Amino acid sequence: MAAPARAWAWLRRNALPLYAGLAVAYMLIPIVVIAVFSFGATPKGKLTFGLDHGFTTEYWTSAFSLPELNDALLTSIQLAALSTAIATVLGTLLALALVRHRFHGRRAANLLIVIPMATPEGVIGAALLSMFIYSSVALGFSTLLIAHVMFSISFVVVVVRSRLIGFDRHLEEAAADLGATPLTTFRTVTLPLLAPGVVAAALLAFALSIDDFVISNFNSGTTVTFPLYVYGASLRGVPVQVNALATMLFVASVIGIVLVLWQQRRAERMATRLDPVPAT
Amino acid sequence: MNLRQRLVPYWLLGPGLLWLVVFFVVPMYFMGELALRSGSLTTGYTFSWEWANFPDSLSGHTEQILRSFFYAGAATVLALLIAYPLAYAIAFRAGRFRLLLLFAVIAPFFTTYLIRTLAWKTILSDSSPLVGVLQTLQLVPEDGRVLATSGAVIAGLTYNFLPFMILPLYANLERLDLRLIEAAKDLYSSSRQAFLRVTLPLTMPGIIAGVLLTFIPAFGDYINAQLLGGTQQAMVGNVIQSLYLNQRDYPEAAALSFLMMALILVVVSLYIRFAGTGAFMGDEDEARG
Amino acid sequence: MRPEAPNRKSGLGLAAAVIALVLALGLAACGGDTVGGGGSSEDATTAKGGPVEGKLAISNWPGYIDPGKGGTVAEFEGETGVDVDYIEDVNDNETFFGKLQPQLEQGDSGGRSIFVVTDWMAKQMWDLGYLQEIDHNDLPTVFQNLVPTLESPSFDPERQFSVPWQSGMTGIWVDTAKAPDIRSVNDLFDPKYKGQVTMLTEMRDSVPLVMKSEGVDPEEATNEDWLKAIDRVKAAADSGQIRRFTGNDYTEDLTAGNIVAAIGWSGDASIVENENAEWRMPTEGCVLWSDNMVIPVGAPNTPAALGWMEFSYEPEVAADLTEYITYVSPVDGVQDLLRKSDPQLAKDPLVFPTEEFQRNCSTQDSPPDVEPVNEAWQEVVTG
Repeated sequence: MAAPARAWAWLRRNALPLYAGLAVAYMLIPIVVIAVFSFGATPKGKLTFGLDHGFTTEYWTSAFSLPELNDALLTSIQLAALSTAIATVLGTLLALALVRHRFHGRRAANLLIVIPMATPEGVIGAALLSMFIYSSVALGFSTLLIAHVMFSISFVVVVVRSRLIGFDRHLEEAAADLGATPLTTFRTVTLPLLAPGVVAAALLAFALSIDDFVISNFNSGTTVTFPLYVYGASLRGVPVQVNALATMLFVASVIGIVLVLWQQRRAERMATRLDPVPAT
Repeated sequence: MNLRQRLVPYWLLGPGLLWLVVFFVVPMYFMGELALRSGSLTTGYTFSWEWANFPDSLSGHTEQILRSFFYAGAATVLALLIAYPLAYAIAFRAGRFRLLLLFAVIAPFFTTYLIRTLAWKTILSDSSPLVGVLQTLQLVPEDGRVLATSGAVIAGLTYNFLPFMILPLYANLERLDLRLIEAAKDLYSSSRQAFLRVTLPLTMPGIIAGVLLTFIPAFGDYINAQLLGGTQQAMVGNVIQSLYLNQRDYPEAAALSFLMMALILVVVSLYIRFAGTGAFMGDEDEARG
Repeated sequence: MRPEAPNRKSGLGLAAAVIALVLALGLAACGGDTVGGGGSSEDATTAKGGPVEGKLAISNWPGYIDPGKGGTVAEFEGETGVDVDYIEDVNDNETFFGKLQPQLEQGDSGGRSIFVVTDWMAKQMWDLGYLQEIDHNDLPTVFQNLVPTLESPSFDPERQFSVPWQSGMTGIWVDTAKAPDIRSVNDLFDPKYKGQVTMLTEMRDSVPLVMKSEGVDPEEATNEDWLKAIDRVKAAADSGQIRRFTGNDYTEDLTAGNIVAAIGWSGDASIVENENAEWRMPTEGCVLWSDNMVIPVGAPNTPAALGWMEFSYEPEVAADLTEYITYVSPVDGVQDLLRKSDPQLAKDPLVFPTEEFQRNCSTQDSPPDVEPVNEAWQEVVTG
């Protein structure tokens, strides 16, 4: 085969992986840009996405020097942690009910869980605002918390559900055969096995909360979350520290996910090592 | 089953459903009620069965509604075209790198939505190298620009909602039994026929889920239009935000929000009719009613 | 698995829900209740004086304070022991008001004791009963040092509820390297600069300038004049002449080179990172405005708020502030102080404009009938 023909054949065989590589690169471009430009020096400390003034690490060392930014970040993390905790609990219970039990109104429950996911954030935010206006509730952290839990529940249900559906119930039956009460079975068998799904759901809820802008914008009053801070800052010149913090957040999430996955893999490996007999 | 056992599901359902009812259903009612009021900030908003708010808000903002359909639709189509081969590659050709690639795909999620859109605003700014390249390639006119155009907004929407398209596609593709394709090939079908007649129909639930999960939030988005658009790119979301926060015309804002949601619910209910809520949530056993 | 309950039951449930909803709506209608509707200024409370201590939260515009350890906030904290929470969340009068309105309606200021808002917004808040009255006896330094031109403005002739923070001018920012000839707002409509100009979202900045460029005096303008000017802007927006409507972020576009000219504010030099960009007084004149400190209802610490106002009117403090933020100070004596420490700045017409410089300028004003004009403008600005 002549060289061009061979190259062409190689291309055709590997078109898909090549394309995948390009697509992934496209998805990561902004992240690279953000990280790179957090090192660009700017005379007035405002982000210009230009490197003509030289390289500097001052925005990384002073990343936490803007009190407003720190407050916003702290608020976001607190909000995300709380809303994740509540939403994960509520959503897991819902998922258990939907998968394991029979009851009237199953279709209605399904619908109620699905519809919020199908509603644009703007509508949810506006509707909540309408209710708060009407009932004269002060907007702030609590209204934000309410909103965040609300939109997270549906996603938690979906994730935990898919984990529950593929669940091997023999282990629970074995525990019952050995005399464990339903509660004990739940605590010692079901929950640990369900854990990866619950953790995944919690991570998703956390990510959704920390990134939320639209719903928060409608319902925050004067409380400032990190995305709201960035929005306000974008109207007047974003401080470069924002980029440094964003990159930090990103790296932290990466590390978090890697740790979780690694832990999972270890657990699986240990399970197979302890139980050499393949499951039937 | 004794009574206590029968009540267990209701205890499990109770808290979550209650939260959703109080903080999703009830606000919708209030929004509907607000939509029937009239008045202003100074005079107060009086409930007056003002049904006129609905057709008024529709006729006053038809342009933005149609534009939102167009932008969201274009972004969804583009996202589908980009995501399908990518999801396919990750599912079948990635091998060891599968998790890594999946992660790379979700990675943009972990930078704040606003920051990555702002990054695009700079990447696409008039004097950036990328735009220079596009101009050399004649994709953008010499004296033209990318920012503050519909193209920029659609590009932003596509990028920001791409993960919503990839994940359902991937989840669906992963379960695809490759032996079916092999069987088709054994029966002398070409690669293309195998794709069109086996792969595509089998992955349709994933495609539909992805399309819905992308189109719906894109339709209601306003950030991309605000940061990447100019004076002619406003979407429904921008109008609603302006009505609520700038003009404080709450009744019209509520009416428009309701209309927007009604439009979307029509689309979603058509889908649910077709495939069942179970399929929407990824559970084929519950599909088809 | 037992088959699911028959559809009839779910149907009944749905019907019941709908009936309940309709009943509830009906009840609301019978009540004929009204939500919202603001108060009035007649029952305004007076801000209480007292010892200056505790915590103080201030909402201000960005770029309006000299930051850091030597800055005004730090000095104030050092002198009085007050713990100041200085929040730069006023990006736009309307948006700030929109976010706070539900709380102000309830008499809650969101924890702030001072807002800084532009003249007309201060008046709007006052008319709705959201502000407290200020007793001049609590502010001797302020009213001693306030420049005469700001003692009795049209929107608050007795200075009942507002104390100026800074003044400024709205004119045209021009990238002199790319468009050296732009000197009038009319030039912004020149097709030569299509897609390379921006205007402010602030109606009371952009529209009066456009009116002036047509020879109309904003202070005497009728609603028709306003609407006509808005139509002209709309046509320019639709044709793509105007690239965007901006808040403070026109400075970003200037820096990035996306535009050659923008309607913008005189003191923003500290935010614009483009050496070729300069603020120009339009040939037809500029718009003059002031941003004012106001004390909202429900302010948690009014003595400290009054103390802050007093502090900011001491000439040395005001001089430091002006040196950094380069806007027009309302405090008498600042120019003299700066002649010694920063003579260049003391001669800058943007910071110490003479009457001659401002001869064609108009003070910021509202249209006679605000709502229809505002609605028309919002439509243009939102797109």
